[in-house]
Amino acid sequence: MLSRCSHVMLALLLVLGVVLVGCAKRPATTQAAAPSPTGAAATTPGATTAAAQPSSGGGPTSSSGTTSGGTTTTPAPTATPTNRPAPSEFAAVADLKDIHFDFDKYDIRPSDAKTLDGNAGWLKSNPNHLVLIEGHCDERGTNEYNLALGERRAKSTMNYLVSQGVQASRITIISYGEERPVCSQKTEECWAKNRRAHFLVKPR
Amino acid sequence: MTVRRPLVLMLIVSLLTVPGLWPVAPPPPAGAQGTEVWIKATGSGARKLNIAIPEFTVTTVSPGADAGTAGKLLASVAGADLTFSGRFSVVAATGAIPVNNPDALRQSWAEFAAAGAHAGVHGLVALRGDRAEVEMRLYDLTDPDHRMIASKKFELPAAQLRRLAHKVADEVALQFTGELGVADTKIAYVSGPVGAKEIVMADYDGAGSVPVTRNGSINLSPVWSPDARSLAFTSFRQGYPDLYRVFPFERRPEQTLAAFVGINSSPSFSPDGKSLAMTLSVTGNPEIHVLNLATGVMRRLTRHAGIDTEPTWSPTGRQLAFVSDRGGAPHVYVMDAEGANVRQITSGGFHTQPRWSPRGDLIAYTQRAGTHDIWIVDVDGSNPRRLTSGGDNQGASWAPNGRHLAFQSSRLGRWQLFAVLFDGSAPTPLTRGQAESTSPSWSPRLP
Repeated sequence: MLSRCSHVMLALLLVLGVVLVGCAKRPATTQAAAPSPTGAAATTPGATTAAAQPSSGGGPTSSSGTTSGGTTTTPAPTATPTNRPAPSEFAAVADLKDIHFDFDKYDIRPSDAKTLDGNAGWLKSNPNHLVLIEGHCDERGTNEYNLALGERRAKSTMNYLVSQGVQASRITIISYGEERPVCSQKTEECWAKNRRAHFLVKPR
Repeated sequence: MTVRRPLVLMLIVSLLTVPGLWPVAPPPPAGAQGTEVWIKATGSGARKLNIAIPEFTVTTVSPGADAGTAGKLLASVAGADLTFSGRFSVVAATGAIPVNNPDALRQSWAEFAAAGAHAGVHGLVALRGDRAEVEMRLYDLTDPDHRMIASKKFELPAAQLRRLAHKVADEVALQFTGELGVADTKIAYVSGPVGAKEIVMADYDGAGSVPVTRNGSINLSPVWSPDARSLAFTSFRQGYPDLYRVFPFERRPEQTLAAFVGINSSPSFSPDGKSLAMTLSVTGNPEIHVLNLATGVMRRLTRHAGIDTEPTWSPTGRQLAFVSDRGGAPHVYVMDAEGANVRQITSGGFHTQPRWSPRGDLIAYTQRAGTHDIWIVDVDGSNPRRLTSGGDNQGASWAPNGRHLAFQSSRLGRWQLFAVLFDGSAPTPLTRGQAESTSPSWSPRLP
C-alpha cells in the first residue's frame, strides 16, 4: 500500500514538477461556533432598540434652503414629515398635459414651454388646487441616477410654472426615476413617452 | 459488511502541462498563524489546487433528526464554493468515507491522489436535534502518509446546513491562501418587475432567498452595513423616496434614516459603520450628504448646480467616489470625506454606479454605450477596462475580498444576478429565478 502510494507520488511529482514544500507541521484543532445570523427567522425577541436612529428634531420645512455651511447641524428627519401631502391623494385632470424631455436632459424644450403655459393658465384659474409634479425617466441609464434626473425634471418644470405666476407653495414634486414607465417597449418612441413630467392635483 | 469508499469520478488533467505547479511556500504573512500560503497568485489565470471532497460522513444522528442527504449536500456546496473561488479544482466522488476506519480513509486518499488531488477534505457531521456540527479535516495528499494539515469544528442550527458547508470552504481557502474565503456571505438584491420591487436576500450563491421587505411599494438600492447585520435601502412606502434601515436577522424595528422633502436615496455606509452617505435634494438639487448615525447630524459634501449622486466610500473612509453630470454627462468623481479636492476619474462616456473596491485600488462603474457594461478603473483614473459583455450589465457590488463582483445582467433574458472575477473571467449565474433580480449588494463576511 505504502509503496504504491510512493510510486503514485513519485509519478505525480515527475509529471507535474510539483514542489510542494512545507505543509503546516501539525493539525491545528480549533472550535468555532457561529450562532448568528440565522437566516430569515428572527430569533431575538425584544432586541435592542434602534440606537443608531437619529433623534427626531423637527424636519426640514421646505425644499428651499436648509443647510448652507459645510458642516451644519441639520436636524435629523422625522419618520412622518407633516409637510409632504400623500401622493395618493392627487388625481389627474385632462387639462394638465404631460411634457417631455430629451435623453439625459432636464431643460424645458420650447414646444413643451407652450404646454406648460397652458398648464400654468389652468392652475391660475383654479387657485384652490394643489399640484403634484412627477418627474420620470426612460429605462436607459441606471436607477439611482435616474431618480436624481427625474427630480431635476420635476424641479425644472416647477421652476417654469413659478416663473409663469403659479405659487411655489401650491407645488409639490416627486421623482419616480425609471420606476413608473407608461410604455414598456424598448424603442425610442416608447422611451420618449417615458421621459416626462406628469401633473396631478387635489383640492386644498 | 461492505465498506463503502468514495469512487473517484473525475480526473483533473488540465494542470498536467503546467511546469512548476506550486511556488515554494513563502513565509506565512503576519496574522495568518500556522498558515503557510500555497496559493499566491491573484488572477484567474493562477494555477489551481486540486482538492478532493468526498461526501461528508454522518457520525451522529439523534432521534428525530434527519440525516437524509446531509453528507452529500455539504460536500456538494463546499465543492461549489471552492470551484467558484477560482483557486481550486474539485475532484469529485460519490460515496462517503466510513467513520473510524483508518484503512478505508488511507485507501480513499490514495485513490484521490492517483486521480490528481493535492489535498482532501473530510467532513464529519453530527446532527443533534436542532443543532448541526461539522468537523472539517484537511489532508495533504501529496504527502505519502496523507498528513492531516488542519481540522476545525463549526456548529449552527440544523436548518443552516448550507452555511456549515460555506464555513468549511472558507476555512479551506484560509489554509491554502492565508485569507478566509467569502462563501459565508449573503447577497441582498431587488426582486420583482418595475413598479413592484421588494428587497430579498440569499446566500452569496443565490440559494435560500428570503424576503427582507414586503410593503407592496417600490424598494431600491439595498446596501449592507459593514457589520453585515443591517441593510439600508430606498423605499417609496410612505409615498416618497425615503431612506430606511432594516435588521434582517433580528426582531428589531425598521428605522427611517432620512425622509426630507425631495429624494432621499443612494445609501452607502462608511467603512466604520458610523455614517451613511446618501443623496438628498432637500436643498433643491441632488447633493451628496453624510449622516452621522449616532448623533443625527447631517453634513453636506457637494455643492454644484448639476446632479451629484451615488456616493461610495474608499475602504479607508477618507474619500468618496460619486457620480456628477457637472461635465455635461454623468461621470465618476472622487472627493475627500470633507467634500474638498474633487477630481474627475472617468470621462468621455456615460458613467454611473461607482463602487470602490474593498482593497482600495479600483473603482467599478457602469458605462452606457447603447447597452450597459461593468468596467473597472484604477483610482487615479488610469487603465479603464471592461469586465462584462453580452446583454445589459449593471449595478456591480464587490465581494468582501475584492476578487469577485456581482452584477445584474439581461444576457439570458430577464434580469438575473451574475458574478465575475475582477479580471472579467468566469462569469457565473447566481440567481435563476422567475422574478427579475437586480441591484445586488454583496455582504461582508457574516459575524
